[in-house]
Amino acid sequence: MNDFFLERPPWWIVGPGLGLIVVFVQATINRRLGVLGGFSAVVERSTGRRREFGWKAWFLLGVLLGGTLYGLLSGRLWLTEYGWLTRTFTGSEAWLVAPVLVGAGVLIGYGAKTAGGCTSGNGLAGCAAASPASLVATVTFFGTAIVGSFALRSLGAA
Amino acid sequence: MLVRAVAGVAGVAFGFLISWAGLTDPDRIREMLLFEDWYLYPMFVSAVVVGFVGLRALRGSGFRAFVTRDLVTWTTARPRQRHVVGSVLFGTGWAVADACPGPVAAQLGYASLWSLCTAAGVVAGIVLYLRREEAKVARVTAPPLLAQGEA
Repeated sequence: MNDFFLERPPWWIVGPGLGLIVVFVQATINRRLGVLGGFSAVVERSTGRRREFGWKAWFLLGVLLGGTLYGLLSGRLWLTEYGWLTRTFTGSEAWLVAPVLVGAGVLIGYGAKTAGGCTSGNGLAGCAAASPASLVATVTFFGTAIVGSFALRSLGAA
Repeated sequence: MLVRAVAGVAGVAFGFLISWAGLTDPDRIREMLLFEDWYLYPMFVSAVVVGFVGLRALRGSGFRAFVTRDLVTWTTARPRQRHVVGSVLFGTGWAVADACPGPVAAQLGYASLWSLCTAAGVVAGIVLYLRREEAKVARVTAPPLLAQGEA
């Protein structure tokens, strides 16, 4: 355990840091980053729709390994709790967490693919590129997520 | 090869940073979406501002990308219905799972076991989208079967 990594850095470190990663990707390989595109690249390659994984799949692998690196440094590894879901569905209802998360994942994958990006591709990189479609998408998914969270709480999410 | 390595390095930095910032913790994200914790908003805006200024500086100075050697440029898109409809679906999933694709990947990395379910859903959602698009293309390009013969 290392407490240094359990406490989050201030927003003015993390925000500009993420912004610089967007700039770094553009300055090196001249591409707009996006994590959903990484998932999509893996899906397209493994279903024979594409011959190569492409750079986005490697970006995705990097994000995953970044999580591993953080887990190793902070000691936050092998987590079996998951936010409001594992607090709300307990005992004989615990299994419900799985279908709810799969369903949420389907909405995330299908929705973000339809919108042309997720929080990273549309939200960070698309807005940084001042793409009007990304700005509209970002306002929409932030707004929906906020309203949805309040709705879930009023429905009794713990 | 170098392109992949660079993409991987950027990904590691990205995944590590969002994990350290607590953006992969469903409880933290929920607090932010419920306005109990404001961290997300100035963080996000400052990321976009730094990205915006950085990209403009690169393009404005006629910068050639280090690895691919082409002039830094990008395309933008006009908002269409799909951007709104897709983002409403995505935002709903985000509210339920308190995670979006980046955090889901990082969660997998540190073995937050429930994220396997979210990731499986994301994959299924992408497959669903691809099939639907392919079906649309097939309908448009299919030869009109009833045009010949009896008709």
